[in-house]
Amino acid sequence: MHDPSATAAITTARLSKRYDRTPALDDVSLAVPPGSIFGVLGPNGAGKTTLIRLLMGFVRPSGGTAAIFGHDCWHDGVAARRDLGFLVTADALYPDLSGRAQLDLAATLSGRPPVLRDRLLDALEFPRSLLGKRLGTYSKGTRQKLALVAAIQTEPALLVLDEPSDGLDPLIQRAFEQVLTDLRDRGRTVFLSSHDLAEVERVCERVAIVRQGRLMAEAAVADLRRQQRRIATVAFATGVPDGLGRVPGVEVRHVEGSRAELLVDGEVGPLLAFLGASEVDDLLIRRPRLEEIFLRYYDGAGAETPAEPVAGHRR
Amino acid sequence: MTPFLRMTGRLLGRGLAGLVGILVGIGLFTAVQAPIVDSIGGAPGLAAMMQRLPPILLALSRTRPEFLAATGLTGFLAIAYTHPLILLLAGAAVVAFAARSLAGEMEQGTIQLTLSRPRSREVAYAARVLGLVVVVALVAVAGPVGTVVGLLAARPAGEFAWAHLLPLAVSTAALVWAIGGLALFGSAVASTAGRVVGWALGLLTVSYFVDTFADVWRVLQPWRPFSLFAYYDPGPVLADGTVNPRHLLVLAVTGLVGVVAGLLVFRRRDLPS
Repeated sequence: MHDPSATAAITTARLSKRYDRTPALDDVSLAVPPGSIFGVLGPNGAGKTTLIRLLMGFVRPSGGTAAIFGHDCWHDGVAARRDLGFLVTADALYPDLSGRAQLDLAATLSGRPPVLRDRLLDALEFPRSLLGKRLGTYSKGTRQKLALVAAIQTEPALLVLDEPSDGLDPLIQRAFEQVLTDLRDRGRTVFLSSHDLAEVERVCERVAIVRQGRLMAEAAVADLRRQQRRIATVAFATGVPDGLGRVPGVEVRHVEGSRAELLVDGEVGPLLAFLGASEVDDLLIRRPRLEEIFLRYYDGAGAETPAEPVAGHRR
Repeated sequence: MTPFLRMTGRLLGRGLAGLVGILVGIGLFTAVQAPIVDSIGGAPGLAAMMQRLPPILLALSRTRPEFLAATGLTGFLAIAYTHPLILLLAGAAVVAFAARSLAGEMEQGTIQLTLSRPRSREVAYAARVLGLVVVVALVAVAGPVGTVVGLLAARPAGEFAWAHLLPLAVSTAALVWAIGGLALFGSAVASTAGRVVGWALGLLTVSYFVDTFADVWRVLQPWRPFSLFAYYDPGPVLADGTVNPRHLLVLAVTGLVGVVAGLLVFRRRDLPS
């Protein structure tokens, strides 16, 4: 077992991948702390899967390096993958094998006993009666559950999961998130990519946002939210007063009738002072959700620079 | 079972039904030769018929009337081993394995199950080579087994040296190994199994065409040394019990070059997404 405190679970340094002349990943540097859940966000084609394929040694870097627990993913791939679980896509399982044979094969190839298999089958509500049947007879969701069990059953030090909740129903998705947080609490590291921003926000401590193959931001989710402008929604009793937009640090984002949505930069004191002199029916001030932060990085598609720099931003 | 043998077993198990079907087909084809030999007047009867064939059809038979007349039953049985159907079945067995086990696994993504574990590409490739060796051995043995069964069942007239079936199997193994090695190289280069099968089918067709018709179409003669089938002549092997060592060497080295070249490509290539 690797000592989680010894080194970063994953490090990439100026990692790049080009297919012919098309860059799929460009100059990405990040570090995934051990014992954490790290999420990579981005739409299709952003470079998430390429990043994961580079980590797994499926493709060779065009530039830079990637390492898992200090072992280079391309030149020292066997050592890098010694205690690693990877979620293969559900379509990449052997359709002629039974579920049990598939799990046994995965464990044999890992060289470790499947210590978590039974617990995972229970947590994901996998019907035991299906284990003896061929995968070709499984539904997509059931294949996804089996692929997750195959990846996690040996309790690896690092889990690399590409769209892990794809095909899972919401209840099982929540159960799976609990599995991930349990693993994290036991010192394991999880690196996942997902389209589901709410899921990432629920389970990940840190995230990286990639766009067009470039790393736009890497930060703790809490830091990311803290450093973004707060969102204030105010319902005025007698219409939106003049001068609201001139309050220091306040930008009026949207007005509808007597309701205004504001972006508040820095301290909320000046806004509260202004509202104290107005007739206010309702007031809600909150940090932006991860989805709102993510979408800001994708506003004005085609822009070459991030919408707003954040802590941990490497570019 | 070790992970390496488990990998090999999985690769062989995936196409087992098809492989068994091909082996049975090869065995049946060689088995039926013995029961039919007397119905056409034995080897002399066939030799007499062949003497009336035009050169182009004689070339297709891949034997000579005088050889048949001299070797009798042995010469007749040897014809089965150069029949296009047998060569097609033998080639199909190794090409299908080579195509499915590497390019096919890359195409379907199933190879990720192995390569995401602490297993090197070299080891993953070695499992394919071992699987190929097993398929080659089975294909090489299937024909002689069929011949033995046919001879025991029909007991045709004429002499036959049972021991000569062993060098015949070695000669067949060398040919099939060469085809398999080249197919494995193609499988390491390609990203789909279908493409490998297409390449292999084209190569085998051209190779067979060149060797078969070089005697009647002089323009093909310079190209004959490049045909794999120029180094496979089961008639003399079955009659004399010896394999031309140069033939063995050429086929063995061809297969080995294909296997090594495939490894060099596979260990550095990107897996298709």
